[in-house]
This record gives sequence, C-alpha cells and structure tokens, in this order.
Amino acid sequence: MNGALAVGRYTLVELSRRRILLVFFILGAAGIVLLGVGLKVLYSFASSQGSFGAPNTDPAAFNRYLELAFVNYVFSALGVFGLLIAFAIGMTAIYHDLESGAAVSIFAKPVSRFAFAAGKIGGAVLALVAIVGLLAVETRIVMFLFGGGLEGSLTGEAAALVANTMVVMLIVLALSTWMNNIVAAVVAFVYYNVITGVIAFVHKLFDTGVINNDVVKAIFDVLYWIVPHELVSSAPGDLARAQIALSSAPTNNQILAAVPSASGWGDIAWWVFVVLFFAGMVYFAVRRRQV
Amino acid sequence: MAVVSVERLRKRYRRRDPWAVDGVTFALEPGQAFGLLGPNGSGKTSIVKMIAGLLRPDEGTVQLFGSDPGTPASRREMGFAPEDPDFPKFLRAGEVLDYFASLLGLDETDRKRRIPETLEFAGLDQERRHIRQFSKGMKQRLGIAQAILGRPKLLILDEPTADLDPLGRRDVRALIDRLKDSGVAILLNSHLLSEVELVCDTVAILAKGRVLKEGTMAEVVPEGRNLEDVFVELIQANTPQRDQLPSFITEQEKN
Repeated sequence: MNGALAVGRYTLVELSRRRILLVFFILGAAGIVLLGVGLKVLYSFASSQGSFGAPNTDPAAFNRYLELAFVNYVFSALGVFGLLIAFAIGMTAIYHDLESGAAVSIFAKPVSRFAFAAGKIGGAVLALVAIVGLLAVETRIVMFLFGGGLEGSLTGEAAALVANTMVVMLIVLALSTWMNNIVAAVVAFVYYNVITGVIAFVHKLFDTGVINNDVVKAIFDVLYWIVPHELVSSAPGDLARAQIALSSAPTNNQILAAVPSASGWGDIAWWVFVVLFFAGMVYFAVRRRQV
Repeated sequence: MAVVSVERLRKRYRRRDPWAVDGVTFALEPGQAFGLLGPNGSGKTSIVKMIAGLLRPDEGTVQLFGSDPGTPASRREMGFAPEDPDFPKFLRAGEVLDYFASLLGLDETDRKRRIPETLEFAGLDQERRHIRQFSKGMKQRLGIAQAILGRPKLLILDEPTADLDPLGRRDVRALIDRLKDSGVAILLNSHLLSEVELVCDTVAILAKGRVLKEGTMAEVVPEGRNLEDVFVELIQANTPQRDQLPSFITEQEKN
C-alpha cells in the first residue's frame, strides 16, 4: 500500500512538471476564457445597437442563445482537450520509466509490480481528473457571465468526459508497456476513436430507426457490447431541449430521438468492467516486463 | 545462511540465442566482497539482474536471504546500483531519494536523517536541477546513493565507477571497505580490475556466460602476478583472437 502511494505521489509530481500537459492545459483554459468573453463582448456590442440588429429580438433570449452557443462550443473543446491530455498522460506515465531504465532502480526496491501498476494508474487518473476538473470549474466561472440554467449539464458532461478519457488513457498506458508510446497512441486512437466510434454511431442509427435491418442490427448490438463505448451525459439532450425551447418551435420528438440519450446503469457497469479490464492489462504487462 | 546463493543458473533472451548465462554457481556470505569479472557480453549484468529479481532465470535457482528475489520482502535488505542508472526525469535528486525511501518503508525520522546525509555523500546536496539535466556521472552517484539509502545487508554494484571521476572512485572504494567491515556483503561487477583487486576477497571470471575461474584473490592471482594478467590470459585462451587492425589503419601507417 505504501509502495503504491509513493509511486502514485511521484507520478503526479512528474506529470505536473511535464510541459506538454501544461501547454494543453493553458491552451484549454485560455480557449474557454476567450470563447466566453468573446461571446459576452458580442452580446454587449449587439445590445448597444438597441435592437440586436433585428426587430423584436428579446435581450434575455439573445443572452440565452449566446450561453447555449458557448456551452456547445465549450463541451466540444473540453472533449478535445480531455482527449489530448489523456493521450499525453497515457504516453508518458509508465513508458518513460520502463524505457529510460528508471524502472530498474524502482523494481529492485521492495515494491511489488502490482503496487507499481496501481500507483501509476492512480497517479495518472488523479492527474486527469484534476486537469479536466480545473477546466470544468473554469467553464463554470465563465458561465456566470451568462444567464445560467445549464450548470447541471456541465457537471454531467465533465463526469462523462473524465470517464471516457480515462478509458482512452488506460488503453494507451497498457499498449505503451508493450510498444513504442507513439505507436501505442496511434493504435489506441484507431481502436477507440475510429473502430469503436463507428460501431457506436451505427448502433445509434439502428436505435433511432434511421436504418432497419434486423440481421445487421443484431450484429451491431453484439459489437456495441464488445467494444468500449462512450458514456453519454444528459447534456446533449438538455442542450437540444433548450435550443428547441429558444426557437419557440413545438417540441419535435423526432429531433430529440436523434440526440443521444444519457447512459444507463448497464452502460456504467460496462464502463466499470472496461476500466478494470484495461487496468488489469497494465498490471499484466508490468508484471511480465523484464528490465 | 548465505546472503546470495546461485545454483546452475541459466538465462537466454531468445530461444535461438546462445545462453547469456550458462550454469553459473556461487554463494556470497555476510561481509564478503565478491567480484564478477568478464569481457563485454559475458553475462555479468544478467546475473546481477537475476539476483535483484529483475530478470527471471530460465534454469537454476537464485536465493536472496533464503527467498526468491521475485518477492518484494526478499529485496528489503538489498541495495542495487545498476549500470548506467536512470531515474524519473522530472524529479530532483532529493525527491528521488524520498521516493525510494518511501518504497523502502523508511519512517519520517530515518528519512530526515538519511536523505541529506546520503545526498552529501553523493555530492548532490546542493543540486537543484531535474534528473534530465544530470550528467552520466551525477546519475551514477545518485545510483549509488539510492542503493545505500536503506542500509542494505547486500550491496550490488554494477560497474559503479564507470562514469565517476578519480575522487568519486576513491569515495566508492572507501564506501565498499567501510560496508564490508560492518558485515555487508558486496557483489561488484567491474571492468576496472585494479579496483576489484583492491576491494574484493573472492572473484569469478566469466566468458560467454560461463565461469572460467573462481576463488579467493590468492587462489586466482598467483604471487608475483596481477589480476589483469590472469584475466587477459584466461579470456584470450577462451575466445577467438582479434589481433588484426582494420586495413584502413594499417594503410595509414604505411603512408
């Protein structure tokens, strides 16, 4: 236990000093502030024109529209930066120790390979949660510039983002113990973002009734539950409903049905299994590794 | 009980490769300094890595304080300074020692005393840079520092002075003498035969993974000769001769 805590603690210290993570964090943080302030400046400019450039435009509705636009962009940006950070952590947390020879000195100490793997994974997960959490907190602060009402969506989206990026990070960590870390990142990207992304997308098309073929549907149902698929928060649904409400159009169930629904307990249980599976792969690779 | 006991140890890295270590047997007692000598690729580092639990033997057994070195508890009393050591690149020397002190399970009192003293011994007490900015010699000194941090009963030194300056080498010799006197067993891998002759009681000379000669210094080195002569003679008798210089060198000589 002490060994795992020591490994975890110094993994965090090391990651906090890696420039690539700092660069991603600064870019993400600066991007969120610029986006929020930019939209607010746009609002101020438009409101100073008196009529928002068009007759009968309600200032409150316009502010709400800007907030929706901001939240939409920020959720996308968070997703991209979360993924970049997950790749950066996954590529460096274990790989450099194994390749540089630092592992020789570490493994010669009275620490088990399990404690080493657990400490590395724990440190990496904490770093990921801390960085994504800080970006989410910053987003929440920028949201004070607007009317509010979508705070719950942000919390859910940040939680789903951490959960999804954690899986990507574990895949990269596991692969980087077997192969070069750049190759590991490419393989993980192809596996998680391309192959499983396509499977999840096609599965969604069947679910929403866009495609109808029972045999193919059955195949994609099975594939969907074989590959790790992303957890979805209530945010996409919340945003869609808010946009429909803002447009004063009647609620369109067909449009809402096309929006991914929030993940249920089955998806969460599957995510837990996937996390344990890839964490186990990391341990297995570290245990077999002769340095 | 022997500190280290190695019996008929064999190891190869791929199935088609020749044995890197082939039937090596020896034992190391408390307070004894044992020198493993051999040319490059003779299997010295593979042997010490198997003793340190870093490599798994294909055949034979290794006992470290009577246990399998693969178990963490058996490594508690062992200090290992690897050849060409490296450490997490974004930590400082003091942090590396604190990290390793945690892995050794040292309490706060021991850490506060031992870490500054060990850093001072290694000449790194004023060093504030990250490991990635360290020279090879500084890493080597830190490698020795981390190996003695836990006050081990067995100290394994794999080419410990290869990158050290003469003062550093003298400090390491003094350290080995002092530890030997206090009952610590030393296993030393080195190409510096004069150094081995000074500090080791027993030596084994290896080539191609096999022990060619083993015994006390007096048994291996007859009176009036030195370890280097014996070593060169043994190795040359057991390996193909390479007495031809490259042709481009001899051509230059003619001109």
